[in-house]
Amino acid sequence: MFEFELSDKQKQLKEALRGLGKSVIRPSSLEWDRNKDIPLEFLRNFYMMSASMRGGNSTMTELTEGSPVSGGAGPSSGNRTAAIAAEELAWADASIMLSVPGAGLGGPPVRSSGTPEQRERFFGIFRDMSEELRWGAYGLTEPGAGSDVASIRTSCRKEGDHYVLNGRKCYITNGGRASWVVIFATIDPTLGRAGHRAFVVERGTPGFFVGKIEDKLGLRANETAELVLEDCHVPVENLLGGEERYQTKEGFMTAMKTFDNTRPLVAAMACGIGRAAYEYARDFVRENYVLSRPIPRYAAIAERLARVNRNLEAARIMVWKAVWMADQGIPNAKESSISKALAGQAAIRACIDAIEICGAHGTLSEDHALLEKWFRDIKVYDIFEGTGQIQRIVISKRLMSNLRGF
Amino acid sequence: MISFEATEDQRLISETVQEFAKTTLSPRAREFEKAKGVPADVRQSVQEMQLALAAFPEESGGQALGLLTSVIINEELALGDPAAPFGLPAFGAFPLFAQELGGARGSELLRPFTLEGEGSFGAVAWSERKAHPERAGFSCVAKQTASGFEITGEKCFVGNAGLASQFIVFAQVDEARGWDGLGAFLVSRDAPGLSVGERHRTLGLDCADFRPLTLDGVKLPGDVRLMGDLVGEPFTRAVLRAFAKYSLIVAARQVGLSRFAFETAREYCDIRQAFGKPIGHFQAVAFTLADRHMDGESASALCRRAAWCWDSGKSDEECLLRTAQAVAHAHEAAMRCADDAVQLHGGAGFMRDVIVEKMMRDAKQMALVGLTAEHMDQLAATLEVRGQLDSALVLPTPETQSVFI
Repeated sequence: MFEFELSDKQKQLKEALRGLGKSVIRPSSLEWDRNKDIPLEFLRNFYMMSASMRGGNSTMTELTEGSPVSGGAGPSSGNRTAAIAAEELAWADASIMLSVPGAGLGGPPVRSSGTPEQRERFFGIFRDMSEELRWGAYGLTEPGAGSDVASIRTSCRKEGDHYVLNGRKCYITNGGRASWVVIFATIDPTLGRAGHRAFVVERGTPGFFVGKIEDKLGLRANETAELVLEDCHVPVENLLGGEERYQTKEGFMTAMKTFDNTRPLVAAMACGIGRAAYEYARDFVRENYVLSRPIPRYAAIAERLARVNRNLEAARIMVWKAVWMADQGIPNAKESSISKALAGQAAIRACIDAIEICGAHGTLSEDHALLEKWFRDIKVYDIFEGTGQIQRIVISKRLMSNLRGF
Repeated sequence: MISFEATEDQRLISETVQEFAKTTLSPRAREFEKAKGVPADVRQSVQEMQLALAAFPEESGGQALGLLTSVIINEELALGDPAAPFGLPAFGAFPLFAQELGGARGSELLRPFTLEGEGSFGAVAWSERKAHPERAGFSCVAKQTASGFEITGEKCFVGNAGLASQFIVFAQVDEARGWDGLGAFLVSRDAPGLSVGERHRTLGLDCADFRPLTLDGVKLPGDVRLMGDLVGEPFTRAVLRAFAKYSLIVAARQVGLSRFAFETAREYCDIRQAFGKPIGHFQAVAFTLADRHMDGESASALCRRAAWCWDSGKSDEECLLRTAQAVAHAHEAAMRCADDAVQLHGGAGFMRDVIVEKMMRDAKQMALVGLTAEHMDQLAATLEVRGQLDSALVLPTPETQSVFI
């Protein structure tokens, strides 16, 4: 049966996160943005609080990642709950979601492709973080290869019981603080994707360095780093999935499909930021126009608000559809891309329009500092995890017959 | 818990309607267009399938399957021919207005629609050509007399007026109250003083028989006034609900049209070759198709969610907000889909040999049936910004934007 009501548990989680967002996260949001950091103490408290909020056996990692489509565990509600939580947290602050301790984007590939030993080893370090907070990260993008994943140049060659990696990775979320990073490299660039190998590279591995920490337009409180690999010796045991996994091309490609899970969550976060901006502008209009006197421009502004809100709603409903499919084990690559493409655009538009609706005030970083911040934060949501254009390529390939690429 | 899974009933109905749309409506769409109506044999088939009143309670002769099922039915019918549902008995606005305004009499009013055969039509006479020059409200006036009411005035843009056996006519009962002073009256086609005018010549939706009405001192007994002597918010709220529900049904047809236009364009882009490959293999074309696919998918999901709200007994405010968002999005999406379907066909799309030119005309016309995207945005903003609703302010009046109904 069609159903658009959250479960009681989801409602409680949403309410709790909203309360936390409003009274704890939002008030600090601007300071974090200015300082380009979220204090560790805050992250620790936040991590503990949200872990308890989710109840005993679930971890924050699941909340921020969703659960894999091909998990084989039958229908779950994990992806839907994760989408609701992601939107709520992003509503409070865009950076916090990305800075939450745990495996982060490194989680899905390890979970789906890792051997049981690797999963135990690399997820084990997040089990108890009462002493020290830890992060995982995901390193695919290079200075010369972003959307065109097949062109990565970071090389790997086997030498005895090690692989030797050389290259540079950039724009890596939490790259500087990560305990390990899933690094993609190639045995031979002419082989394209078939030549790719994924390694879990641990901090402290010889030849593995953190390069530049980026200064960004938005999401400034979250760390984005460059990673450098210079004759980096990675033990064979850290080859994700083990040697046999790479005997067939399919084995590896199937594993990568788990990224269909993270796109709707990124889209959900965009919806949260867009909603924050929309609500801000709506309340501004409510306070400044309606209660004093209707101005001639009011109808135009009213329609603009309505348009912003419904475009966000259209994106959100596709997020819900994509995560519902994931929970049912229905392949959702196209729907995931649809949600991401719609949400990125709708939320950017919401942030732009919110500033315009508030007028000159909107750009002042004193009066409406949050608006100014959201405007900067939101842009990357149409870029990371596949740009809007890449999403359209994913969608087109599923619409046209015999279209393998452009 | 969020779910997008149809019930077994909905799946079966959807498959049946899809098949009917594909085998009967789609191949004959141009025939309906030329005939300016849906022929009797098709009407009879639809009547036998008992689709029109799927959402209505059983005591009204319906199937009590909810508005969501109706939305699915209308979307699937429109996939065959988006204009056809406008020419089908009981698919118009009349049943919804009868239900919202009829109270206990609602089911009695719907009885003619449940009879076997070609089915019978009802019509809602709402719009007027011009705004009243001096005051707010309709120019068409219902004067109270000793025995009941006497209605005088002209109405226009009335769907299925030529075929209808009964009308719900809106008229001003209290001139001093402007848009709050409206009343609704049940008028039989053979009432003395009622004349149905010449068919409006329209851009699209040729199946729909839109006509003006003239009421020249039509005398009515007192009991034909719907909702008794209620004026003001309770009455206008009921009218708004009827408009919103009908608009949602129209929006579902726009979703069907969007999917139809997209699918036609997609097939064409798959086979049409240029520069040595199918044109769909160029990014400019493929991305356009991807965008239109997103339009159709999101509009469909929003319409279903809005219908779900009504079916789940959510507050008026929530139902109206969701409906407003779904309808505005569906209208705009449909226009983009139809426009791009013509565009991607190039010159061929401009020719009547290809169906997409009809989609484009139908989409524009359909965007003016019921509450338009502009009305819906105003409604949504009113709910969101003001936090309270003055229904009379958001009804589609000749002084804002007149509509077909």
